Amino acid sequence: MADEDEDVPNLQVQNVEDVEDEEGGQEYLRTLNKLAGTPQGGSMLSLPKRGEKDFESHSTQLQVSTLETSRAAMHSVLSWQRTHTFKNHVIAMYDEPSNMVCVEKCKTALFNTMGRSKGGKEWLLPEEALFMMERGTLDCRWPVNAEEQDQEEGSEATLNMRLGAPMSLQGAYAAFLGFEGGVGGKLTMEMYTVYAGLKRAGYVVFRHGDWDDDHAELQPHNPDASGTGPGIISRFFAELWRRLTQPTYHIPAANLAFGPLVKPGLFRSYADIYRLIHLIPAHTKSTPPQFILPPDSSNPYRIHFNVWKTSSTHKFRKANRPPPSFRVCVVNARETSIPTAAQVNDLFATVPDDPPPTTSTNIFQKLKHGKRNIILAIVDNGIPSYLTLTDASFSEEKVYERGTRAGRGKGGGRGRGGGRGRGRGRGRGK
Amino acid sequence: MLKLLVTLLHTHFLSITIDCDYTDAADAAVEDSSLRSFSLKATPSPTGSSSKMASTTGSLKAEAPVSEGVTIPKPNSNNTDSSPKKPRAKRRTYNEIHAKSLPLEVYPLPTFIPHNPISLVRIAVSLISHSIRQPSSHIVIHKAYFSPETQSIHVTDPKFIRALWEQGFWGKGSLSRSEPHWLDQEKRRRGLDAIQTSEEHTRNRREDRRQMKLERAKAQREAIEEQLRKEGKTISDTQIADLVDEGMFTESPKGTLYATGTDKPLEVANGTQETIIKAVIEDVPSNDVSGAEINDQEHLQLTFEEAFFLSYVLGVLEVFHDDSTLQPSDLLRLFCRHSKFLTTEDPGFTGSLLQSDNNMIAPDNPFVMKYVVLHHFRSLGWVVRPGIKFACDYLLYLRGPAFNHAEFAVMIIPSYSHPYWSEDPERAAVSRKKASRDWWWLHRLNRVQTQVFKTLMLVYVEIPPPWDENNGKKVDIGNVLTRYCVRETLWKRWSVNRNRD
Repeated sequence: MADEDEDVPNLQVQNVEDVEDEEGGQEYLRTLNKLAGTPQGGSMLSLPKRGEKDFESHSTQLQVSTLETSRAAMHSVLSWQRTHTFKNHVIAMYDEPSNMVCVEKCKTALFNTMGRSKGGKEWLLPEEALFMMERGTLDCRWPVNAEEQDQEEGSEATLNMRLGAPMSLQGAYAAFLGFEGGVGGKLTMEMYTVYAGLKRAGYVVFRHGDWDDDHAELQPHNPDASGTGPGIISRFFAELWRRLTQPTYHIPAANLAFGPLVKPGLFRSYADIYRLIHLIPAHTKSTPPQFILPPDSSNPYRIHFNVWKTSSTHKFRKANRPPPSFRVCVVNARETSIPTAAQVNDLFATVPDDPPPTTSTNIFQKLKHGKRNIILAIVDNGIPSYLTLTDASFSEEKVYERGTRAGRGKGGGRGRGGGRGRGRGRGRGK
Repeated sequence: MLKLLVTLLHTHFLSITIDCDYTDAADAAVEDSSLRSFSLKATPSPTGSSSKMASTTGSLKAEAPVSEGVTIPKPNSNNTDSSPKKPRAKRRTYNEIHAKSLPLEVYPLPTFIPHNPISLVRIAVSLISHSIRQPSSHIVIHKAYFSPETQSIHVTDPKFIRALWEQGFWGKGSLSRSEPHWLDQEKRRRGLDAIQTSEEHTRNRREDRRQMKLERAKAQREAIEEQLRKEGKTISDTQIADLVDEGMFTESPKGTLYATGTDKPLEVANGTQETIIKAVIEDVPSNDVSGAEINDQEHLQLTFEEAFFLSYVLGVLEVFHDDSTLQPSDLLRLFCRHSKFLTTEDPGFTGSLLQSDNNMIAPDNPFVMKYVVLHHFRSLGWVVRPGIKFACDYLLYLRGPAFNHAEFAVMIIPSYSHPYWSEDPERAAVSRKKASRDWWWLHRLNRVQTQVFKTLMLVYVEIPPPWDENNGKKVDIGNVLTRYCVRETLWKRWSVNRNRD
């Protein structure tokens, strides 16, 4: 319902599934009143929240006046004059060989989450430069005539930059999209759409790796922390106990070939039977990650961006980045189809392990968290759709074992409350 | 002492509310578990705890043919209000009905209770008795027959039907939504029995919800009218009447028939189809209450995959076809042939990829792929049920549809990673085509699953190179199945706005 404008995140705070609709409406009106009073409010100004939606007009004065107020509020926000102060004017120079932008002097806080310093200068990647130009923060210049530049090598670089011809926005799009060196990735329109969307939504976004290699790095599987836990003696006794309590059954070759796997006999529990009939190999956590496909620069499935949540608790330092919150792979909806198993495997091999928190005991929670996670941004002509792709490990969560562990009375994994109140119209399924 | 226990039990059962949902039933089961453990202590037999319990509480009425586990009191019964000696039929909890997760018998040892030395004796007794006469896991072999017309396996014996449903939720009643209880429904319809079926429950709930929505709309409407009145505008009174007419009468048969049913035949005559049906149902009991025994016209239909699992893995199902029993290897061929018939006949499928005769089973035969996935999840303990109603291949239930809603919706994608499939370009192109799905397909699927509160799972099944090349020989099923490999991936929408912090 409200999805069509998810790329305008600041204007859309309320979501379909949010419950506190009424409260939101109240707050909305309050914000409106505040805004109507101070149209040029300055620092305390914030975007108005959306209120409740009426689906048809019912000719009451109340409805008309509410609509008028909210329109006025929107207009007052839009009419707010945006200014560029001279102090914050950032000038940069386009560098053709690297297709990057060299910044004269970092003046805004934006550089906390953008750019990289190389050789004593601050450099911006194409998407960063484009984003800043589109935002109106950056004044990018084409380089002046090469010979001229050579002559003035010794003189001040700042003067040099100011001599360059200003780059138009059209020029910037033409220059920055698709003209990058390197094997793996060139910035495409889709990637820029995702980058700008995430930036505007308030995330910190950086490129993953260099985009120069055919393959990203293989992320090995972390051995379990629990492996070091129990000592050898306790493990020995655990194994002994397991052998005593779980008799091992074998399926004769003839039965395996022509059935039945479970011969008539004495079984102590259903878990024994389940263990016996386990037959189909599955990809498990213990399988070491490895690539299936040959290195290919045209493989669209590779991690493009690392994304961090902006948290108020600790400041983000671009020189010393924490592990990213999300890893995003951008694909073109029209040119690719959903990944094949090999592509999925290779993609998962390039992200580190992300096991569910050890505190979670709910089987569904654990399964849904999976062991590795990737976000796919599927872009169709500029409209991104984000999907989380999770490498689930069902083979590790054995339902039959759980049955014996959890008390026999208390059934369902969801327990009491969880099954209910999952929203309106929750049928009984089948 | 025993008397006391009996009365205690009675009061407990009576206190359980009749208003029942699946989850409610599970909750009730929790309450019951304490009782069960008590009865376990009182009776030495470890297995038949529920039956023993029925005998301890001897005055309980003989159990009705329990189907749904939900019985509501008969409205005009003489016994119900008179004395505690003849209480209403005991309601079996789902935990009791579905205690076995597979249609096999297991013989657990009695639990060892440290402070009760007699428990040791009990363990010894059962160990010795088991070693003298070894009990078998296969007590009943269910019989079914292959029905080529309906592409399914039919089980017709009511005993087998009940057993297969209760012990692992196999199959579907041919005349029911899922659990086979057409007979109960029919009895209820004719007023012979007071068992409420799940279908009926759903119907009632839908009716309630519709009523609720109507009332909500009415309330909103009234609020607007009120506002208009306050603002001094005129309102046309007909509007409310219109709403009531449209809403209450056509949308809610309850309203027409019971609330305002002054002119019943007229209402029925111009009512919707539903109201007519309702009226007919209302009429039937007067003619038919004393009617003869009703024939159960329902059978259980198993899918190919379920039947193959029951036959090849568990060995509890005998499938007949043309008066002969089919062995698992025969079943494999039969099912593969019929599943191929079911698929759309696109030329790329049979033609260029594998050009041998029709009897050969292609490694990516739909039956084999589906079976591999079913076997995988069943062997992990999930209850796997067909998911066509949810636009997917399978639904995964944690313990079964009676306890939880399905949590995962499985869609199977073949995967041709084996070098054999990319050896020659033509084969590579065909296999690529078969494995590819566009993004719109995925989003469509995901939207549907989100709407019904399921998590979408794509299961990639790794297809091995052809294994059925020496045609005519018996297939080594175990060997074949282990060549497939599955990988589960979960897909979920990620919202930019909801993950910021």
